[in-house]
Amino acid sequence: MAAEPTAAPATPSDSTNHGLRVVVAWIVLSAIATPLVAVFVGHLVPPGNGSTQGTEQVFDNTWMLSVVTPVICLLAVFFVYGLRSFHAADGAILDGPPLRNDSRIQILWIVGTSVTVLFLAGFGTYELLQNGAGGGQGPDPIAVPAGSKLQVQVIGQQWQFTYRYPALHGLESNQLVLPENTDVELHVTSLDVIHSFWAYELGVKADANPGVDNIAFVKTKGPETFHVRCAELCGLWHGYMYNNGRVVSPSQFRSWATQQEKLYASIAPFMNKSAADGGAPYARTYLPLPSERAG
Amino acid sequence: MAEPLAHAGTGYEVVEQEPPELLGRNLISASHLLAGATAFFFVAFVFAYFYLRSLDNGGLWKPSGVDASIGWGTAVVACYVVSAALVRLGLADHRALRRSQWRQKGGIALLAGVAGLVLQVIAWTHESFGPADGGFASVYFGWTAFLFLFVFLTLVWLEMTVATSVRYRALETDAPPPGHASGDPYRAAHDIRDPLSLVRAELVGLSFYWTFLAGIAVVSWIVLYLI
Amino acid sequence: MTAVAAPPPRPLWRRLLGFNLLTAVLLGVGGWYVGWFGAHAISAASIGYFADTDYNELSVYLAYIGGVVGFLVGLGFLNYPLARMRGYPPSLREKETHGWTRYFSLCTDHKVVGIQYLWGIGLFFFIGGLNAMLIRTELLRPNHQVFPAGTYLTIVGMHGTMMMGMMTSGILGPFANYLVPIMIGARRMAFPRIEALTFWLLMAAGAILTTTIFFGGFPTGWTGYAPLSNEANPGMDNYIIFFALVGISMTLLGLNMIATILTMRAPGLSWTRLPIFVWGVLSTAVLMVLAAPVLIAALGMETLDRTAQTTFFVAAGGGSSYLYQNLFWVFGHPEVYILALPGFAIVLELLPVFSRKPLWGYRLAVGGLLGVSLLSWFVWQHHLFVSGINGDLRPFYMLSTELISIPTGFTFLCGMMTIWRGNIRFTVPMLFCLAWFFNFLIGGLSGVFLSDVPSDVTTHGSFFSMAHFHYTIMGGLVFTFFAAIYYWVPKMTGWELNERLGKVHFWTMFVFFNSTFFPLFIAGFEGQPRRVVTYSAHLQFLNDWVSVSAFLLGISMLVFLFNLVWSLAFVKKPAEANPWSSRSIEFQLPSPVPVHNFDRIPVFSSDPYGYGEGPVPTWVAPAGAPAGRE
Ligand code: HEA
Ligand code: HEA
Ligand code: CUA
Ligand SMILES: [Cu+2]
Repeated sequence: MAAEPTAAPATPSDSTNHGLRVVVAWIVLSAIATPLVAVFVGHLVPPGNGSTQGTEQVFDNTWMLSVVTPVICLLAVFFVYGLRSFHAADGAILDGPPLRNDSRIQILWIVGTSVTVLFLAGFGTYELLQNGAGGGQGPDPIAVPAGSKLQVQVIGQQWQFTYRYPALHGLESNQLVLPENTDVELHVTSLDVIHSFWAYELGVKADANPGVDNIAFVKTKGPETFHVRCAELCGLWHGYMYNNGRVVSPSQFRSWATQQEKLYASIAPFMNKSAADGGAPYARTYLPLPSERAG
Repeated sequence: MAEPLAHAGTGYEVVEQEPPELLGRNLISASHLLAGATAFFFVAFVFAYFYLRSLDNGGLWKPSGVDASIGWGTAVVACYVVSAALVRLGLADHRALRRSQWRQKGGIALLAGVAGLVLQVIAWTHESFGPADGGFASVYFGWTAFLFLFVFLTLVWLEMTVATSVRYRALETDAPPPGHASGDPYRAAHDIRDPLSLVRAELVGLSFYWTFLAGIAVVSWIVLYLI
Repeated sequence: MTAVAAPPPRPLWRRLLGFNLLTAVLLGVGGWYVGWFGAHAISAASIGYFADTDYNELSVYLAYIGGVVGFLVGLGFLNYPLARMRGYPPSLREKETHGWTRYFSLCTDHKVVGIQYLWGIGLFFFIGGLNAMLIRTELLRPNHQVFPAGTYLTIVGMHGTMMMGMMTSGILGPFANYLVPIMIGARRMAFPRIEALTFWLLMAAGAILTTTIFFGGFPTGWTGYAPLSNEANPGMDNYIIFFALVGISMTLLGLNMIATILTMRAPGLSWTRLPIFVWGVLSTAVLMVLAAPVLIAALGMETLDRTAQTTFFVAAGGGSSYLYQNLFWVFGHPEVYILALPGFAIVLELLPVFSRKPLWGYRLAVGGLLGVSLLSWFVWQHHLFVSGINGDLRPFYMLSTELISIPTGFTFLCGMMTIWRGNIRFTVPMLFCLAWFFNFLIGGLSGVFLSDVPSDVTTHGSFFSMAHFHYTIMGGLVFTFFAAIYYWVPKMTGWELNERLGKVHFWTMFVFFNSTFFPLFIAGFEGQPRRVVTYSAHLQFLNDWVSVSAFLLGISMLVFLFNLVWSLAFVKKPAEANPWSSRSIEFQLPSPVPVHNFDRIPVFSSDPYGYGEGPVPTWVAPAGAPAGRE
């Protein structure tokens, strides 16, 4: 058996106030690091300022970073200090002081973490309720931006997205083109398996479930090109289910619309009727009827 | 240290006997835990029922003509309940040392349970709808099928308990011949000495679990046939 | 008690003929074919409904059921129930006391099962790791290069499923099975046969998942979302059966653990003296017993959808894809804490030994473990923030998820305060525990980002979430898994592991783990999606960096494997009984621990953390107890 450990003297011989040192170092380090992180790292976090919702996410992420920086600092200071100061001399197996508890530290820690966490949850909820943060909210959204909105239905299927514009007589296109500075209401659904509509630069993500109308809001900013990508595993070609979308000026949007309508004129009679012609604004009949199911 | 806790290189012969009530405590806590696991298993079906019902996707929750026949359902669940109740009563008999009455009740309980299973199969073939006929049909067939499986395994357990007490019916407390269980005289020491003490322990665990499962059957009856 | 001389060992050929792994594999394959053709016979006989449907997998399922039953028969698992059904009382033990063959057969010695688990889990961990290497090879280029898209998905799915399925028992399997009875002063688990069953079920499951490649693989990843799984090819059935068997194994493992801890503690071992590791096992086991059945139920529904044409998950038939997602994550979230909690417990168990201080804040630590275990039931929809499910409940799930940081923080606090002012020895297990703080801090804090809905909108389904869970699992669970190996394997096998190689393993693993997964946070933020062969070209440098680091990480694991095999099979340097000067009871026993664990059942008078509080207590036999060795 290894050498029997010797008990440490009852009172630790060194009277340095280690705790105070760590706390001071932590406060100093956090005071320096937190603003630096907020200012220099904050604006780097995605998805960028492609939309109001995107900006909101960046803001949110910046806050989160600023809150977790002191937590990281605390552990960094603690371990750098602790592991340097408290390691055993080579080969010696010496018992440390038998400290089993200190309720003041416990209470401080519990209160500290609870306050942080509650703040984060409150902050996140507040941000979420502003305008939905670009996430899919289901058929009955709770965070609805005020004012009029351009409605677009996003229909996922293996393996592409189709966009339906009720405002353009139910035009359906495989391109997503949006006018600038406009509130857009996206209705995401699927014809087969679960997909997820992800417009990265716009900060929008909403799952496409069959038979579900998943609503997400986004307010576009200036003209730009953005990436659309399927973000839920949907089978073989999931990895290739992407294309680009565009945010354009209102006049460009109108000319794009007329061009598309011309392009698809020949198949228009076979499409679902538009709302103006007495049809539903959203295609709800995509579900294959049970009689058509295999088996 | 005064005395080492163990010596290497000794055989298992040195093992002192475990407290006799240990097996019982183990079986009882196992039956409680099994009941917990079973509950969470069937909660999934309860959830499926109410969730799909509230969604009513495509209007296909319960198309007309899809209705489980309450007659068969009641018969099945009644068999389960009777069987579980008999096991409870049998346990009381066993506690009161009325061993032969317990054996009778146990046997009838087994028959009642098996009757329930048979009735269930008949019920399936007599339903007017098939598993593909919408949400309710799915939940109905899924729930009853898995309940069938659980009941079947519980009845196997019941059969074991009954079989042990029948085999040793002549022997009130005496130990069976050494090596009787394992068939290996070298391991005689590890046989349960008094098989009837095992019956009591198993009965307590079993009757708890079987009552619980019958309770789930009743819940399934309420959910699938009444509401 | 009569002492009977041990039976003379039987010749090898005779032992090979009995109930063992060899027989089991043969009968398993046989059973598979019986099921397969049996099912075709059923269809041929046109028994009702199944034969009429043009698409069903009934024969596949019956084949696997036949295979698993055959396997269990071959191992001898049915001997006991069949004897019982004929009315014979059970034999309490089937311990083979000697010979290597016991490792390949049904053995009810909890120490043998622990070692079986260690190698069995290690094998599948290795296979999962190889899959990871293949993933990283494919991702060297932003476009498809080595594997076709379908194969890539299968590899990712196999990697994720194998890891999640196997590593849930990664610590409870080897270490809890081996140590819990010893730590609580018992000679066996409450249900030794069930204990063995959990192991062999897991092995059958692993084999089934591995063979999915012969049946076309499966396209769904480890989550198996319906309705994609409904339309997938027969390889999907391997996934379903794998996870169902793992679920059964987990339920039984947890049940056995709880029953053992509740009923078999030695005298004097009150709840406040229980080693913290046992508390960790208990809180994990509760999650296992209750969460795994939900998974089994969900997979049962999926099975019915695929065989009997029910429409649980088919929106067009009155079902819902949300139903599967809900059920999966009701299981899935507790599952991730099943992975995390044993790691917490190991850290808290080891830190006192290597800081030579009592565990600080024992009650708080226990509260933290139980708190995580409780809260983990209320957070599952954080995986579904953008799915459109219950949009109005998102603030609640955001709150509940973030609340978990508080009990998790308890583990951090107790661990840190235990180190504080101790005499730290930087042994290999200690290094792994210290690394846990670093890794899990990053993993946990990234989890806090994910739990924030506005942040999750972008990071969901991206490599950010992938980096998060590799930090928590690889960095949290697997690091502590290795800590446990270095700490306890000398005890379990009686042979030392090479310390120098251990340090090489640790440092390379720590460095390359971080350089593999940290960049993936950035890749995720930049929008790299999970489970795809393609990503934006500008992320190639990052991905190449990651891939190279991952290969080096793989090499570091080979260093470990080399160490393990070299030390245990070739060097065979006998380990001291108590190499770490620990006060824990298992180190007061000889190495390896004798078959019967204790000559006399010990009586506990304190917890095992009394460093600096006097000599190690002597465990005494209770007054009047029957003498053990005469
Ligand atoms: C071991 C496994 C493990 C663990 C422990 C965790 C822990 C946590 N996880 Fe993680 N998670 C996974 C495994 C794990 N996770 C997996 C596998 C997935 C993906 C599944 C898939 O999609 O395939 C996932 C996905 C996942 C998501 C969904 C992402 C998405 O798909 O959109 C979310 C969202 O909320 C989340 C959150 C959290 C949180 C908040 C914790 C918390 O428990 C973390 C708490 C810890 C800390 C916070 C650090 C320590 C605490 C302190 C030092 C105290 C002070 C701190 C503060 C005050 C903040 N996880
Ligand atoms: C336990 C959980 C676990 C572990 C440990 C790992 C470990 C690793 N994972 Fe994995 N991973 C998952 C769980 C895990 N992963 C899950 C759940 C997913 C999601 C799947 C999905 O999307 O559905 C995923 C997905 C995933 C992806 C994303 C694929 C994609 O979405 O496209 C990638 C890509 O890099 C990856 C890489 C790695 C790497 C490089 C390791 C390395 O750390 C591996 C290193 C390990 C080894 C090389 C093996 C060494 C073993 C031994 C030497 C044997 C030891 C022997 C004994 C003990 C006896 N993983
Ligand atoms: Cu569509 Cu992935
Ligand atoms: Cu989770």
